[in-house]
Amino acid sequence: MFSNRYIIIYSAIMVLVVAAALTVVAVQLRPAQQYNQRVEKMQSILASAHIESTVKNAEDLYNKYITTAFVINEAGDKEANANAFETDLSKENSKAVAERHLPVFVCINDSGSLYYILPMRGKGLWGPIWGYMAFSSDLKIIVGAMFDHKGETPGLGAEIDTDKFEDQFIGKSIFNEQGEFVSVKVVKGGAPDGDTHAVDAISGGTITSKGLEDMIRDGLSPYQNFFQQIRDSVSSQNTSEE
Amino acid sequence: MSALKLLSTPLNKENPITIQVLGICSALAVTVQLKPALVMALSVTVVTAFSNLIISLLRNTIPPRIRIIVQLVVIAALVIIVDQVLKAYVYDVSKKLSVFVGLIITNCIIMGRLEAFAMAKKPWPSFLDGLGNGIGYGLILVIVAFFRELLGSGSLYGYKLIPASFYEMGYMDNGMMILPPMALITIGAIIWIQRSKNPDLIEKQ
Amino acid sequence: MENLLNLFVRSVFIDNMVFAYFLGMCSYLAVSKTVKTSVGLGIAVTFVLLITAPVNYLIDTYLLKEGALAWLGPEYADLDLSYLSFILFIAVIAAIVQLVEMVIEKFSPPLYNALGIFLPLIAVNCAILGASLFIQEREYANIGEVSVFAVGSGIGWFLAIVSFAAIREKIRYSNIPAPLRGLGIAFILTGLMAVGFMSFMGITL
Repeated sequence: MFSNRYIIIYSAIMVLVVAAALTVVAVQLRPAQQYNQRVEKMQSILASAHIESTVKNAEDLYNKYITTAFVINEAGDKEANANAFETDLSKENSKAVAERHLPVFVCINDSGSLYYILPMRGKGLWGPIWGYMAFSSDLKIIVGAMFDHKGETPGLGAEIDTDKFEDQFIGKSIFNEQGEFVSVKVVKGGAPDGDTHAVDAISGGTITSKGLEDMIRDGLSPYQNFFQQIRDSVSSQNTSEE
Repeated sequence: MSALKLLSTPLNKENPITIQVLGICSALAVTVQLKPALVMALSVTVVTAFSNLIISLLRNTIPPRIRIIVQLVVIAALVIIVDQVLKAYVYDVSKKLSVFVGLIITNCIIMGRLEAFAMAKKPWPSFLDGLGNGIGYGLILVIVAFFRELLGSGSLYGYKLIPASFYEMGYMDNGMMILPPMALITIGAIIWIQRSKNPDLIEKQ
Repeated sequence: MENLLNLFVRSVFIDNMVFAYFLGMCSYLAVSKTVKTSVGLGIAVTFVLLITAPVNYLIDTYLLKEGALAWLGPEYADLDLSYLSFILFIAVIAAIVQLVEMVIEKFSPPLYNALGIFLPLIAVNCAILGASLFIQEREYANIGEVSVFAVGSGIGWFLAIVSFAAIREKIRYSNIPAPLRGLGIAFILTGLMAVGFMSFMGITL
């Protein structure tokens, strides 16, 4: 009762109508979706520096506390025409280290302390994980950390985004006494007391703990030249004050 | 059938989950908390209602040979729209639902209702039938989520209900309720209760 | 290599499609009356998963993802078609199922007789679409990981339906409370099996 010609024309029209409708919807809603993603990113950055924010006030708080944000390269020089906030780490991580854009966010909180917030992204057992880590102005200690992963069934996912896990990083250091970069290890079965370069692994999540450890080390190591610059300037300030 | 009846039979005697055994796939994983379950229920209701309406409007023009493809395209298009809207307006919930929004496409309720109802009936009754089935499905989802969130996390819709003093006296949230198996067992219990109230629903041996 | 092995074990046992995500429940409940048919369906699902998941992965990576069209030229680098992924995935699945059916019918009539009736069912099996969506969501790095995940999920699903059918064959002779008969006990059984499968979670990978 329906000819082949009818069927072909019918499907062609259907595909066109559907494609047009979906494109219109997607284009219309894209600004709102991108805004949501921006707000989420702002909230994560603020959270690593212990600033609570809600969806509503995130943008204001971000503009208030994150005073500057810039992008450096591996040599530690600033890249003038790159935007730190818009830098997509999943793309940067696939480039060679020397070509990566490395974002740095500078936060000044209510008590006037200056923190450097650095982003990182890696791979857990079940998909991507990412996070932000805040360092004191002399880079000696970690003042806060925030990790996240894509949400799936609760209880099955690795619990790296809990306060209990994240707060372990506070007070740890990524440099040893000689000032060499050693990162922070995630130790299965519990970190030894007083070890400032290790935290306890999450239970039952060996691969994710390993992935997190790799993420911290690989995410921070390209910044070493930048770290050196900061520490040089801090120590020269200290000497001039004395 | 009257409009009211079209809407109300899927809630109990023709419930898509507990009687028709349709559409269990995409839904149980979102019943850990009430809020995602409500959003999911709403999304499914919108998709069933409108796909029923659209297919019913088109029913005389669809060539039978490509019937299934046409249905799938209509459903998929609606689901994409729902997904985009969720991402734009309730971002936190859409993150929790993750892939399960996409899986509404293969939710058998929708295909089932299209085949069984919308292909043969007028648009308005089809729309109501879709609405009713969506709500009947959502109802089960919400009941399951209610118990799982209350017993599993001691809260409802994200608000803590069990007072802190209970915890001090030794009350503990039942962590088991959060895990997937309890969703299945909760549904089993719902079926048990529903069928003991309506003995004519009991399956013959 | 170690990573792939982990992924395989995990997708078969721990993140089992049926017990952890409730995917493919409709056909799981409907076709598990006897062991023989469920073996057929299980094999068909694994087979189709193994073909559709890598194809959809390639489509996602080279057509849909943000910047995926960069190979066409720099002016396409900013295009993001990921909103079309649901509709393309389901279209690919439907087309491949159809194709597989025709190929099997032509080249292996015995296999067709065994699997044939199940193939159309599979197009709307949530486990198939679910696998493609999980791959997109979890950002698997390469086609090797994708194939391993697909086979693992398929085998996990196969295991689930076959063992469930075996239990169901036995339970036919048991004395079950009337309202629980059939569907009710099926849900509770699946829940208990899921509890069993959860013990694999203790395996640290």
